[in-house]
Amino acid sequence: MDEQWIQSVGIDVGTSTTKMIVSRLRLGRMSSTFSLPRYQIVERQLLYASEVHSTPLIGFDEIDADGIGSILAAEYNKAQISLSQIKSGAVIITGETASKKNAQHIVHLLAERSGDFVVATAGADLEGVLAGKGAGAEKRSQAIQGVIVNVDIGGGTANAAYFQRGRAIATVTFHVGGRLIRLSPQGVVQYVSPNIQQWLSAKGLRIQVGQEIGFAQLTEVAEQLGRSMLDYLTGKERQVSGLLVLGPHLRDSIPVAELTVSGGVGLLMSGPPVQNVSDASRYGDFGPLLGYVLQQEREKGTYPVQWLDPDQTVRATVIGAGMQSTEISGSTVHIKPELLPIKNIPILKLELTEEQLADATRLRQEVASIYQLGERLFEKTTGIPFALAISGIGYCSYALLQTLSQELSEQYRASFPESQTMVVICETDMAKALGQALALRCKGAPEIICIDQVRVEYGDYIDLGEPISGTIIPVVVKTLAFDERP
Amino acid sequence: MEQQLDFLVDKVVAELQKKLGEATEQAPSPKAETGGLIQLRSEPKAEPVASATTAPTQAPVANEQPAPSAEPERTTHVPNPKYKEGLDELLSSTPARIGVWRTGVRPLTKTMLELRRDHAAAVDAVYGEVSQAVLDQYSLFTVETQYDNTENYLKRPDMGRVLTEEGVRLLQERCQKKPQVQIVVSDGLSAAAVDANLKDVLPSLMDSLKSYGLTCGTPFFIQGGRVASMDHVGEILEPEVLVLLIGERPGLVTAHSMSAYMCYRPRKGMVESERTVISNIHRQGTSPVEAGAHIGTILSKMLEQKASGVKLVL
Repeated sequence: MDEQWIQSVGIDVGTSTTKMIVSRLRLGRMSSTFSLPRYQIVERQLLYASEVHSTPLIGFDEIDADGIGSILAAEYNKAQISLSQIKSGAVIITGETASKKNAQHIVHLLAERSGDFVVATAGADLEGVLAGKGAGAEKRSQAIQGVIVNVDIGGGTANAAYFQRGRAIATVTFHVGGRLIRLSPQGVVQYVSPNIQQWLSAKGLRIQVGQEIGFAQLTEVAEQLGRSMLDYLTGKERQVSGLLVLGPHLRDSIPVAELTVSGGVGLLMSGPPVQNVSDASRYGDFGPLLGYVLQQEREKGTYPVQWLDPDQTVRATVIGAGMQSTEISGSTVHIKPELLPIKNIPILKLELTEEQLADATRLRQEVASIYQLGERLFEKTTGIPFALAISGIGYCSYALLQTLSQELSEQYRASFPESQTMVVICETDMAKALGQALALRCKGAPEIICIDQVRVEYGDYIDLGEPISGTIIPVVVKTLAFDERP
Repeated sequence: MEQQLDFLVDKVVAELQKKLGEATEQAPSPKAETGGLIQLRSEPKAEPVASATTAPTQAPVANEQPAPSAEPERTTHVPNPKYKEGLDELLSSTPARIGVWRTGVRPLTKTMLELRRDHAAAVDAVYGEVSQAVLDQYSLFTVETQYDNTENYLKRPDMGRVLTEEGVRLLQERCQKKPQVQIVVSDGLSAAAVDANLKDVLPSLMDSLKSYGLTCGTPFFIQGGRVASMDHVGEILEPEVLVLLIGERPGLVTAHSMSAYMCYRPRKGMVESERTVISNIHRQGTSPVEAGAHIGTILSKMLEQKASGVKLVL
């Protein structure tokens, strides 16, 4: 087996629009026939991109599940694809939609109806990272020295992700979006998101529902909103602009070399000039104006960053979700195919130092304390309480392998006797040896799944798919929070 | 041993620098800028200072316990790199000698010494002998091929493929006949590879056989062996599958690389395409414990498919 394709789907249910894509990923053998097998995703092809649909809502705060269901059914039909062919992918409910009351229910419903191994998720951080990948910022970061930030501005929120040398290093989410202010064609304000009220008053801006707003006044609001976001992103000012931040703030200022803007508003940046209220309100909100003022900022060049055109605008998130969410593990692993797929396993991270690895007593203490943390954090389950991610092992000798597997298995069986499956993720290529050593000790109680060469962090969740040709495991790492990391 | 050599190289270079002394004012400045890295490097060097004084007596023992800092921190000699992070990224992507800088049109003395040191280690690996303690640890008895001596071994590969009459007799006497799996270890072109990797590869392979429920015959060691010596062993013991763990031709990156050649029903007249191989097994290459575990998987697939080499579907 030298080559294999898997089909992957991406579905993005946003505040204002819903879209879906189908792609296929080529797995290729990267190692020579004289080495241990190692596969990678070597190519990602977009097969089908749906139209951009309006997200069907019932009232203001409920997603119309049936409406989304029928949009997808029609799109699957058009794409000429059946659910059984989909091996991977992600459903994302983005922006303000995610806080609507039935979002969780919908996302799981969709995941179940979208294929065997489609990840259901609704996290602003992951969304920002996927949008950044879809917009091409991750790829671009590999070609430059500095940091590139992509901000995906949709209807309800703007998700920014910073990339450096091919890695996402930080994310931040803003209450900035096209549908935060809705307008009638005559320019009567119909809705102002409560999320920006505090910022509006700090800026001394007045805008109220029912008010017939002048073009100048509306432009002022849009300009201020755009600038505040850029101020925060570039680290120019964070006191007032910080009021727009949803969730955790950035820990420190990151010097930014390049900037891309994706999302619906990113697309509107290249739209026709917005001259009056009727231009601005053509979608029933101030999105076109927001795009236009950002474009003017870009042309003025007031911010010390290089603006670039993103690879994708309105479809950046869905393309990221469909094409970039899947990774594969190292190919020498220890698994039981009948136990896969497994979904939504939280990560517990065991970071070992050289001193701890050299000293059996300290290693035992370290394992004990991480298992205690696991007992506190996660509920007892007969399934998988967590996936233990081990890092810090440089070279693993057989002697170390024995000590490690002894400590890991013995204490696991003592601390989590009801768990029937133990999941271990190693950073370096040692999963088959470690899995085998653990399995010889545990003898099926618990069963062992051990994979490697996947980077996970504390706070991530992980999904493992069914093996492709025996040993290649598709993995989706759901990064939830960057700033909680130590 | 490598560490001691490293220490010697550093010492020689330090002497040279002292002598050239004030002539090069620039030399200390890049050091100050890359202070962090230099300091990191100086830590592991503290050990060899102590051991170097007793080096002559310890030398043979040192070989059994390869240096703990197996992946020495590599740093560039480029004095003021324009993009240091990028250079470090390149360095960490390859063991090749890049970013070595130059003096005039020639390499730096340190680079030259390192190159000659690594070449010497490669030569030593060919002329060295596998430590008896390592063989004893896994109860491997020794048989010889008709290689006679290392000079002849290098000139006459054919003689390294045939066991001596004494060796054949020993195998017939001491080995289980027709085993499911036969494990053979040989020095090949690098005795140092066996010393360095056997203790990680072999037990991991044994564990793997155990988890696949495979049974193993009597393992032994061939001195002066070539890859195709497995054919002769196959004639004598008739195993279903055979794995030969053999030292590879040493190179300038490492002298400690080992290969595992595997074969279904080895016999005289086998063609090379019937052998399956996992190569480059050493600390910085294919992980020895992972290789050991994977060899078990390959052997079990060979038994399943009754094939090896290009006919085996992995």
